[in-house]
Amino acid sequence: MNEIAHFFEAFGSSSNLLVKAMLLTLELTVVSILIGIVIGLFFALLKLSRFRVLTLIADVYIYLIRGTPLIVQIFILYFGLSGLFLIPDFWAASLALAFHNGAYIAETFRGSIQSIDKGQMEGARSLGMKPSLAMRRIILPQALRRALPPLGNQFIIGLKDSSLAAFISMNELFNVATTLGSNNFDEMTYLLIAALYYLILVGILTLLIRMFERRMAVSER
Amino acid sequence: MNKKLLHSLWRILLLPMAVLLLVTGCAEKEKLADGTELIEKDKFIFTASGEFRPFSYLNDDLTMSGFDIEVGNAIAKELGLEPIPKRMKFLGLVQGVKTGRADAAVASHTINELRKKEVFFSTPYYYSGPQIFTRPDSDIKTTDDLAGKEVAVAKGSTYMDIAKRYTNNVNTYDSDITALQALSDGRHDAVITDFVTGKSAIKEGFKVKEQQLIERSEQAVVVPMDNPILLKRINEALEHMRQDGTLKRISIEYFDEDITVKPK
Repeated sequence: MNEIAHFFEAFGSSSNLLVKAMLLTLELTVVSILIGIVIGLFFALLKLSRFRVLTLIADVYIYLIRGTPLIVQIFILYFGLSGLFLIPDFWAASLALAFHNGAYIAETFRGSIQSIDKGQMEGARSLGMKPSLAMRRIILPQALRRALPPLGNQFIIGLKDSSLAAFISMNELFNVATTLGSNNFDEMTYLLIAALYYLILVGILTLLIRMFERRMAVSER
Repeated sequence: MNKKLLHSLWRILLLPMAVLLLVTGCAEKEKLADGTELIEKDKFIFTASGEFRPFSYLNDDLTMSGFDIEVGNAIAKELGLEPIPKRMKFLGLVQGVKTGRADAAVASHTINELRKKEVFFSTPYYYSGPQIFTRPDSDIKTTDDLAGKEVAVAKGSTYMDIAKRYTNNVNTYDSDITALQALSDGRHDAVITDFVTGKSAIKEGFKVKEQQLIERSEQAVVVPMDNPILLKRINEALEHMRQDGTLKRISIEYFDEDITVKPK
């Protein structure tokens, strides 16, 4: 009983700091997912291109990102490139997360575009549309709707991955919680508090994603 | 290659370049009249982990306090610059200084020969030493007892090398406090860490006990090797702070004793 009281006391006294940290976590996640979607769509289209060179470029990018740990990518962007140019802290973290998310989102988009029935493209072409126009008007709107569930999933993964930005001086949720833990000589309590914050964030996000998916599905009713 | 292909290639290259250009600043440092280089004019940006109480810890507004921070602030004052403490995880501190993310690290770094090949050290601003900590019921007393035992240390600290001298079973943690916490919870056989850190952990109720003090160590400010004039000026500042009692005053405030003079 005593421990539960201690947990809630620590939860209350740290809320001021952790809410601020949570906002930075949200900011990192939203910025990196939005940029990641642009990157992902770009590379998905490259991968589906008729030109071998473009397919190869997309393959190399996806292989490099999926083949290395996110924390390594973050350190390379933060420390490794600083001899050439110094990317500000927030953008180093956001871009590393964005390029990381982008690789997975690219595969999501590729899959959903390929899942659209061939007849759709053929139909559009027979109406006189060029391939690029058919892609924009006919294929992509259907494919993007199909990509929504895995995208929502990636959003949630991205939220939790943003905790790795702790290692490059971002005062986000995980960083502030572990520091408070070591400052108060009480790491377990603050890790549990961090877990609670992440659960709340993911809970809200799940609800929002569900609402959004329902709205986007209107045309299929 | 046909024209269309070249055109699309260009676009592929331009996108990431445009993104990078948008978000990058220039890596060039500001140069003062005497040759001192600073990342930002009139500012002394120094790093610490904020996870090494009482040397550095977090305040309610995400700023840092502690012995290291006060020393860093005092150095900045001597240099006539505005102090900007910057918090980074211990693992990335030195890399941050080497790659121009901070001007210096005032973060209780122990001077050793290997590190001297990578960075400059100032004169020591305090003296400490690695000590063995165990649970109260342990029969480990000295380094001789450590053979074959499981020892936990903080990642990237000099204590890892020391631990490896006596046992080949070394576990690493993100911070010294995590290692001590694990020991207190019944994991591992011993922790090697700074005697001041261990002492404060015991004061906080950790179930650990002090054993042998292995050796004395000297802690200093870390400065990148491309900035020798800044090193010279920091050393002058530290010397002045020893003379006028500033270092001693900060030490007494935090530890009730003067850890800034060389022990006999």
